[in-house]
Amino acid sequence: MSDAYTDGAAADGSTTDRWFNDQTLKRAGAAIAGAFTLAVGVLLYYIVDFADPNLFVRIIPRFLEAFVLVLGIVAGGSVLSIPLGIFVGLGRVSKTRFTNAISTGYVEFFRGTPLLFQLIVIYYGIPALWIQNFGDFPISNWAIPAAIIGLMLNHGAYVGEAIRGGIGAVPEGQMEAARSLGMSYVQAMREVILPQAWRNALAAIGNDQVILVKDTSLLTVIAVPELISEFRQVNSATFDPWTPIILVAILYLCITIPLGKFVRYLEARSDWGGGDRR
Amino acid sequence: MSAHSLLEFDNIDKYYGDTHVLKEVSLEVDEQDVCVVIGPSGSGKSTLLRCANRLEEIQAGEIRLDGTALTHPEADINMLRQRIGMVFQSFNLFPHKTAIENVTLAPQKVKGIDDEIAYEEGMSILEDVGMSGHADAYPNQLSGGQQQRIAIARALAMDPRVMLFDEVTSALDPELVGEVLEVMRALAEEGMTMMVVTHEMGFAREVGDKIVLMADGKVVETGEPKAFFENPQTDRAQQFLSRML
Repeated sequence: MSDAYTDGAAADGSTTDRWFNDQTLKRAGAAIAGAFTLAVGVLLYYIVDFADPNLFVRIIPRFLEAFVLVLGIVAGGSVLSIPLGIFVGLGRVSKTRFTNAISTGYVEFFRGTPLLFQLIVIYYGIPALWIQNFGDFPISNWAIPAAIIGLMLNHGAYVGEAIRGGIGAVPEGQMEAARSLGMSYVQAMREVILPQAWRNALAAIGNDQVILVKDTSLLTVIAVPELISEFRQVNSATFDPWTPIILVAILYLCITIPLGKFVRYLEARSDWGGGDRR
Repeated sequence: MSAHSLLEFDNIDKYYGDTHVLKEVSLEVDEQDVCVVIGPSGSGKSTLLRCANRLEEIQAGEIRLDGTALTHPEADINMLRQRIGMVFQSFNLFPHKTAIENVTLAPQKVKGIDDEIAYEEGMSILEDVGMSGHADAYPNQLSGGQQQRIAIARALAMDPRVMLFDEVTSALDPELVGEVLEVMRALAEEGMTMMVVTHEMGFAREVGDKIVLMADGKVVETGEPKAFFENPQTDRAQQFLSRML
């Protein structure tokens, strides 16, 4: 093989002898990407060919309704899981043994059991306990509150761990500087540590919130009329899986892609005069 | 000089586990004086300084600020710390705040000073340390010397009775040391009470009113700069100075 690259790495000639060098990796990558594109292209061709445009248009309204519901549940889950996560993160770094132990136990439970299980506990378990002890369960449409509570508790644990890591990455000198100015622990946390911890944890929290969006698909099991539930209904009535699948894919991506962009915007906004220097 | 002693270390002991890092240390910092603590690394001088605002806890003895025992378990440490400014080797500026925000944060949040007044006072302190032109810069955008001057301004903004300096030039590039020492010299001339841990012997000799040599967790020798540097009394001091100078 003629030595095409002049990277300097191959100056001694040894690397050019190996068949798996930079050049082969580059070519293999392009080949795999090409094969993937071809496969997706063929699949898409058959899918579009399969899909029924009339059905597609007809099911848009019911899917939009489900989409709005998913948006509402995501908003509720996010808005609640983030403050909960901040408290959990604070608990995880607490030197008070009781607080620390409880928040650790909380995180272990909600990260250590499946969300689907947690949803079932809340949706089926809580009303049963209520009815046995207090009579009629007062909430008629329990599925949606149960969904929001489940997502909040589950993702509160993940956000909590992200915040804990974010606090841990703030140098100790920051707390010392804040305290030495006479700030209380609470003031130092609020004004100095948490803003930096938030910045540190932002990517992880953003990741988690994208997962929260996708986790709404599990809500089909507790009878929330979300996107997968709609799919199942349309599919069982028409025996056409692909037309609703396309719509479901588009609608999930309509949430997750902007959400990812929003997180990157938040990250860029808090670069504090020199992200490149950090 | 028998001025009123503002900061008193009274027979203090400090342990890290089984390691005895401060051994019956007694020391007085008089009002308006600059007390310079020198000594080899590991001698406990930074630890002593950090005990003075309870970033470290002592196990025996007492530290008093203006007669109040700040090491007392029921001392209002947040209140006492407002009267003790501290500047660190690694600056520890708040990276998410601009220079002026670093300076005004504690006056606003701790003392509850009105935003506008805090801003004006903050700007005037930044002016004093020669940093008013960089008020809106973030720490990341500034040199080490500039950051350290802002850190000094941040501590001064609380209007402290005494300032503690913990090897504040040790992390700086050599050409940036001068600007920070200049600010400290000016502060000393204005009559600020200062306790300075440093390796800068020139500064110690020139600005110090009292030199304290520490070694192995003990105060080995105390004296006025001229006497200390020209005629050290103990073998340990002679040995230390022969290595440093």
